[in-house]
Amino acid sequence: MARILFTVPPLTGHLNPALAVADALTAAGHKVAWAVHARQLRDKLPPRAHVYPLDAEDPDDHGIVHPQVRGLESVRLFFEDYTLPIAERMLLPLEAITRSFQPDVMVVDHQLPGGALVARKLGLPWATLVTTSASILKMSPLLDAWVEGQYQTLQARYLPPELTVARPDFSPHRVIVFSTESLLGTQHARIDAPYTFVGPAKGDGRRPVAFPWEWLKPDTRKLLVSLGTVSRDRDTRFFEVMMAALAELPAVQAVLVAPESLAALAPPNVLIRDYVPQLELLDQVDGVICHAGHNTVCEALSRGLPMIVAPIRDDQPVIARQVIDAGAGLFMRHGKVTPAMAKSLIGQLLATPSLAENAQRLAQDLRAAPGAQGAAECIAALALQPALRKVA
Amino acid sequence: MSSPHQEQTLALVIDHIRNTVNEDWITDYDIERGTRFNDDLELESIEFVKIAEALQAHYGTRLAIIDWLSGKSIHELIGLSVGDLADYIAAATETASA
Repeated sequence: MARILFTVPPLTGHLNPALAVADALTAAGHKVAWAVHARQLRDKLPPRAHVYPLDAEDPDDHGIVHPQVRGLESVRLFFEDYTLPIAERMLLPLEAITRSFQPDVMVVDHQLPGGALVARKLGLPWATLVTTSASILKMSPLLDAWVEGQYQTLQARYLPPELTVARPDFSPHRVIVFSTESLLGTQHARIDAPYTFVGPAKGDGRRPVAFPWEWLKPDTRKLLVSLGTVSRDRDTRFFEVMMAALAELPAVQAVLVAPESLAALAPPNVLIRDYVPQLELLDQVDGVICHAGHNTVCEALSRGLPMIVAPIRDDQPVIARQVIDAGAGLFMRHGKVTPAMAKSLIGQLLATPSLAENAQRLAQDLRAAPGAQGAAECIAALALQPALRKVA
Repeated sequence: MSSPHQEQTLALVIDHIRNTVNEDWITDYDIERGTRFNDDLELESIEFVKIAEALQAHYGTRLAIIDWLSGKSIHELIGLSVGDLADYIAAATETASA
């Protein structure tokens, strides 16, 4: 029986895998607690979850501040305006929470480096959860040096110099990656860390979402179109282009995860929903058009679904490239795609057998990977290694 | 004022961009000195590298685009415009041929 403290940022794509891992740990009899921004996450955690708020004295709601930026600029702003401010403000509250809960192990999302710094300062065994494989790759000397500089500044304000390292965000004990090495490819070198690749979390823990299943007809090819929770409300152009293309493809049905206000413009073969039961829906479709968000990509590929990737920001261009290089996807330029181009790409997606074959090849590895259960076992194992604990 | 050499270089860079992207929208898209690779053209880094390689091949050893880029800050890289690249190439090729 171990005491395990989870800390994750208030972002859906980071919370969902952690929920599944916590679920598996709880089922195995461990005691799980959460240190989170409770105003945003409380209602997404299990009703009986043991929650310590990180934001009791923090008035900010930590949304993504610049939803409109794209590409490398979003990476810079994610650090400067999101990750680092959150990290700095959570250090003292999290340290107090950790001293109070006295975990045997901490589980820290990779994009919540405040958690990593507290685990390092208190000398606790800890695991990093990496919800996008882009985070573990060396991208370019310039970008990598900039990232190290950002972490240097953060550490200097909190950790004694002897505990400062180049990449404090990666646990020296265990780094759990929700992807597989076959999808990751060999294009980029990896940052040095003790990785375990567990594939998509699989296990659930997500809340049930209503969906009009009867809308899907048996005799159509079906697509799920989603830009993920961060970019869904970015602008409507992309969805309007998709609807224009789909209007000319009546044998295809598509569910668009988009603002409900677009429903009035939708052709009869398009259903607009602002939230969907994504896993269940993926079981019903033939292909996916998405932003190459890491979770969506892994969930779709583990069902052998080929996809069109229209990356926008953050890690998405890197993940999109992994899908294309693996032969399981086609590229679409999010802000430039025209109805004619979209129609042609959808045609290719549904008519190119090699895309589905490569997706199915990746699916074998993704399905064989141990998912949340494997992650839970790694974490529980850390609790049995008292040598990892540095201070009393 | 930009010289004829600068204007020619800019036109050549723009040609390479249109050929590399090779999608319907770019045919009519106005590409100017101030057009940014990230924000305006939505070029992925792999595409930018292809354009750089094509230009490098065109001009040969007179250019060192990758070295030039590695001296930039992340802010400069994010805001990199077509004119920035064309000006670098124009300067490098003018010095070399002078």
